[in-house]
Amino acid sequence: VRRVLAQARKDLTQMIRDRLALALALVMPIILIALLGTSTSLTVTDIPIVIQDLDQTPLSRQYADAFRSSLTFRVVSLPTDMSPERALALGRARAALVIPEHFARDVRRERSAQTQLIVDATDTNTALLTRGGASQITRAFARDVAGAVRPAVLVRTSTRLWFNPGREPGKFYGPGFFVLALSIFPPLLAALAMAREGEQQTILQVYVSSISAPEFLLGKILCGMVVGFAEWLLAMALLFTLFGLRFAGDPTPMLVGSLLYLFCAVAFGSLVGAAIPNQAAAVQAVALGGFLLGFLLSGLIFPVENIPASLRWISNLVQARYFIVVVRDAFLQGGGWPAVWWAVLAIGLIGLAYFGFAWLAMRRMQVRA
Amino acid sequence: VRRVGRLFRGRFWALALKELRQIRRDRRLTISLIVPPMLQILLFGVALDPDVRDLRLAVVDESRTPESRELISALTENRTFRLAGSYETTEALAVALGSGRLDVGVVVPYDFARLRVRGRPVTVQVLVNAVNANTAQIAQGYVESAIAWLNQRPDRARARADAATAASVSANGHPAAPVARAPRVQLRTALLYNPGLVSAWFTVTGVLGTLITLNGSLVSAATMIREKERGTVEQLLMTPASALEVVSAKIVPLFVLLMGMTGLALIVSRLVFGVPFRGSLTVVVMACACCVLAGIGIGTFVSTFARSANQAQLVMFFINPPLAALSGAFTPIEAMPKWIQPWTQVNPVTHFAAVARNVLVKGAGLGIVYPDLLALTALAGLLVAVSAWRFRRQLSA
Repeated sequence: VRRVLAQARKDLTQMIRDRLALALALVMPIILIALLGTSTSLTVTDIPIVIQDLDQTPLSRQYADAFRSSLTFRVVSLPTDMSPERALALGRARAALVIPEHFARDVRRERSAQTQLIVDATDTNTALLTRGGASQITRAFARDVAGAVRPAVLVRTSTRLWFNPGREPGKFYGPGFFVLALSIFPPLLAALAMAREGEQQTILQVYVSSISAPEFLLGKILCGMVVGFAEWLLAMALLFTLFGLRFAGDPTPMLVGSLLYLFCAVAFGSLVGAAIPNQAAAVQAVALGGFLLGFLLSGLIFPVENIPASLRWISNLVQARYFIVVVRDAFLQGGGWPAVWWAVLAIGLIGLAYFGFAWLAMRRMQVRA
Repeated sequence: VRRVGRLFRGRFWALALKELRQIRRDRRLTISLIVPPMLQILLFGVALDPDVRDLRLAVVDESRTPESRELISALTENRTFRLAGSYETTEALAVALGSGRLDVGVVVPYDFARLRVRGRPVTVQVLVNAVNANTAQIAQGYVESAIAWLNQRPDRARARADAATAASVSANGHPAAPVARAPRVQLRTALLYNPGLVSAWFTVTGVLGTLITLNGSLVSAATMIREKERGTVEQLLMTPASALEVVSAKIVPLFVLLMGMTGLALIVSRLVFGVPFRGSLTVVVMACACCVLAGIGIGTFVSTFARSANQAQLVMFFINPPLAALSGAFTPIEAMPKWIQPWTQVNPVTHFAAVARNVLVKGAGLGIVYPDLLALTALAGLLVAVSAWRFRRQLSA
């Protein structure tokens, strides 16, 4: 244990000397989380829409006003010499509502009046939201018109949005990018520190000293975890202030999970650094491995279930996937240990696996040296 | 004109050839030109799928009648929801929802069938796990439209209800009004440009620009910094070549190589993801060229500040994520905070994504995309000019 601590202290001293890397390592996660967490959102409000009212009656204007007053849409004026399709092609609007002639007459005669919504489906998600919003408004309008005559027989829904009642995207993406930052920066530093030993051949000095390989690795990982913990503290402060998040339930799974995750991430970095004893290449490998896998296969933006089954199994090996579950549960759902024990366990197991592989990689490094 | 003519004579070609040879010998650089971009475009195109489907829905059916089962089947009939079980009590449902095993819970009240038959309004409680705001909004929309559809259908319960009202009304001596009727206002939706809602068309066209800019900047930073690291800048200074010749001889081979990579990426997006190439390919290639230049500009600029390849790469690491995320390539710009939106305009990836989507998916011509193309050209020109100026200063220093 003493040798582990000594190794960790030596690495910490080395890291503190490298001012640029240290500053970047502490400041960048914060900037990344703040910038991306607040700016990432899929739910567009104020979708620009043009309305072509061919009916021009009080009723059709009332219908158009329903769109005007909704938060989902922003009605953009349509020049008289421009067709709705042209407005979409020009990108002036994302959707066009066409109210046909005789709209009011059809409604009053209790015939079915059909209006048309033309949606620019280039952005498929926004297209879905547009369609959903427009049908909601139309249903409410139809109910109002019918309600004036007689109350309708209806199945009503009372919808409760749990855990994130305001549907604030920041509460979803903030914790997500928190996880992403912790899966990039601590392993990056660890990989750099490890690759440096290989590059400068100082690893040979380690071999002739009395420290054993696991002790050396543990020391390195401990140092990485200390820096990672500093990043974690700063990032947590950000989540509590900028994103207004609070622990929803028992915070212990999050604390245990975070420690295990830091271990896991740093072990991953050490593994890469030991396997690729070249700093530039190691950075690239961590970038590709940590960022790409953490960003794409972890459910950060889109659900993991949407990934085709042939690729989805890979996400089971991505540690970030489990940590996202733990963090989102701690801040939003508050399910505690019964809900996330498996995720915490998985992080621990993956961490152990990385540690084992890093040990093996170090042995090979020794042979090569 | 004479200066430009002189520029492209012997010395330039010799230097450019030297660069090409150097790049070709660097096996790792060649690999990093082909493998990561292809991996990225494939992974992003496959994994970034905003589609909302197979949401886990569970019910607490306190009514246990044909009417309530009809409601449940109406909800789970489509691809959006699948029935993930039913619970005895609302509390059990709440626990399952809280532990993340469910996305949506529906509580049907015990008097559902009775009220339906009597033609009274019934309230069904819908609990949505709104942790993911986007999914929650779309799921809510689906539930509501499924129930609206149920309301409009002249079904059995409704028929009984009609009979009941008709009987009660005629008992009062008034003529019974026809009750079951088609809704009065119907909205028909037409999805233009991507009627099948293939999300890959959106993702891949967005990834393309990110890919070109990011890999362009990484590769060019790596090649530019090499002279500095090996201390061969002095040798370049000793040659009779002017600074301008040195700079352009460095940029041109990179440009050619990166355009090759871009072509490969375009082929993948056409063949693997079936992105429709509706508009003119020339316009897209022009945009690609600008994007490549912008990437080279960023890479060169960073390399003039960094002292080693290491540092250059670390800095790129910090530039790239914001460049990718604040471009509208993955998430709509309109959904970003208002104060960030203007900043996306100075991002070349933003304009490239706009051009690529307009031309490839919407089939727009030059008449529509020229503002974005102009902005892209201006940005690329600016970046290359600034970085070339920095590089020259470094040479003469």
